[in-house]
Amino acid sequence: MSRLAASKRAVAIGMAALLAIPACGGEDAATRATAGKVALALNWKPEPEFGGLYEAQRMDAFAKRGITLELTGGPGAPVVQMVEAGKVEFGIAAADEVVLARDRGADIVAVFATYQTNPQGIMVHAARGLHSLADVFAAGGTLAVEPGVAYTKFFEKHYDLTKMKIVPYGYSIAPFLGDPTLAQQVFVTAEPIAARRQGADPQVFLIAESGFNPYAAVVITTGARARAETKRLADFVAALREGWRGYLDDPTLANALMGQLNKEMDADTFRLGAAAQQPLIEDAFAKQSGVGAMSLERWATLGRQLQELGLIGAAPAPRDCFVQVETLQSPPEPLR
Amino acid sequence: MKPRFVETFVPPAATFLLTTAAAEFGIRAAGVSPLLLPTPSAVARAALQHAPTLLPALAMTAQAVAIGLALSIALGLLVAIALSTSRWVERAFYPYAIFFQIVPIVAIAPLLVIWFGYGMRAVVAAAFIVSVFPVIANSLAGLLSVDPALRDLFRLYGASGFARLWKLSLPWALPNVLTGLRIAAGLAVIGAIVGEFVGGGGLGVVVLEAMRQQRTDLVFAAVLHAAALGLALFAAVNATSHFALRRWHTQETEP
Repeated sequence: MSRLAASKRAVAIGMAALLAIPACGGEDAATRATAGKVALALNWKPEPEFGGLYEAQRMDAFAKRGITLELTGGPGAPVVQMVEAGKVEFGIAAADEVVLARDRGADIVAVFATYQTNPQGIMVHAARGLHSLADVFAAGGTLAVEPGVAYTKFFEKHYDLTKMKIVPYGYSIAPFLGDPTLAQQVFVTAEPIAARRQGADPQVFLIAESGFNPYAAVVITTGARARAETKRLADFVAALREGWRGYLDDPTLANALMGQLNKEMDADTFRLGAAAQQPLIEDAFAKQSGVGAMSLERWATLGRQLQELGLIGAAPAPRDCFVQVETLQSPPEPLR
Repeated sequence: MKPRFVETFVPPAATFLLTTAAAEFGIRAAGVSPLLLPTPSAVARAALQHAPTLLPALAMTAQAVAIGLALSIALGLLVAIALSTSRWVERAFYPYAIFFQIVPIVAIAPLLVIWFGYGMRAVVAAAFIVSVFPVIANSLAGLLSVDPALRDLFRLYGASGFARLWKLSLPWALPNVLTGLRIAAGLAVIGAIVGEFVGGGGLGVVVLEAMRQQRTDLVFAAVLHAAALGLALFAAVNATSHFALRRWHTQETEP
């Protein structure tokens, strides 16, 4: 039946249309590859969390390795799906998204973990005199978080959240400013700084305090690409690391560059955000193993935690989740 | 009765079966990742597996839609009647009624939370805002299209303003009002789900959670529940239309 072939093509076209919208580059992966170009989909606006990427661009760290990097995506971009569909070569995601994607049958691997300590936290008004996440949940009030994030499930399992009214976070701190008993999710590099500038006195408890600490701002690609293009991947990660080294040493120029692309964030917030994230990116482990390095134990812990929360079927083999580029010691096995 | 039943239900059922089967085989044959596009059977499985989540969410969304739509009907009709009273009133206010049609609900949704607080009220407000304009526009068109000869007749017999409204304009405009309702019903469902994205609860939050957890099958299952809600409302409006108009208007009396 020709109907079937037609429907197969229609599906492909429909999907392409669906995925091309956020990818806005216009070129497909094959065209890019011949020109030495790669695309990376961001999951947010240019902010300090991507500082190393923009610094690498600025200092031609990619260019001198023969890589032309195009940054695409943005808030709400379906990054994991774009990478899985081959619309972009790389993307930014959280470590828990990598494990979820692998559980759902997608061959996604992490190649670089920007944050050793997850930069997300729960922000409360300091006047409440709370001292820990446990305090926050015991005090009650409203908790604004993105629906479905893994750490809320983790909180529900390990703390008593029955006193909290959980509502969706709408990416605006206005409700927080207007409600002294509202607690909300934040990225330590952004919302707390904005809240302080608006006259609030915020206090942040990192979600990592709970024992749930997935790597964040993780650069992902497909396992197939990681296996097939080890040299190019090693070059890419080396450029990225060089960019982050530069940004950690002096974020001024990259901040100015990002400030032109994201006018909603002013220079002061960029500066403060870059300072706030420094210890989360370059901790003792990263100082020893290099910025962006990952450990098998951390992936094992995350897999176990997500399985305990019922978010995935079986915990994935930790070595399948990431590729440590320096040594290429753990090229992931093909999925299935 | 029987031929009518066949006529009504067989064509859409056939379309449904054919497209579902084509999608099932097409997606399987193309080897598309379930993360990108799940097969209909995977969506059906997700719907069954997550029924304990989906059905209460559907009930919650349905409640918000019902209230929002009821407000739209009541206020939309009142506004249309007010606008139809004089050309001057219409010219002064109608352009502002259009505001409701073009307001980007996604953009103002976060504000609804600040104005109405988290929960049902913000969701109802979102459903109302997107569904009120079709009621106003269609009702007004109907009220203004009353046959001038009949209007003259009412005036000639000295009918009061209320009698003219109740016995002439409103019955005359009823088919238009119902057309407005058909459009408003679908929009109210969309408005409620966008409202839930920011206000919380219902199918909107199920969609967000499923997206976060990369359960594309559950996203589609939730969307299908929303679609079912829209269809049910559409059917309810059609039934109302049939009972209200079968004696008068030709479109409802023809077989």
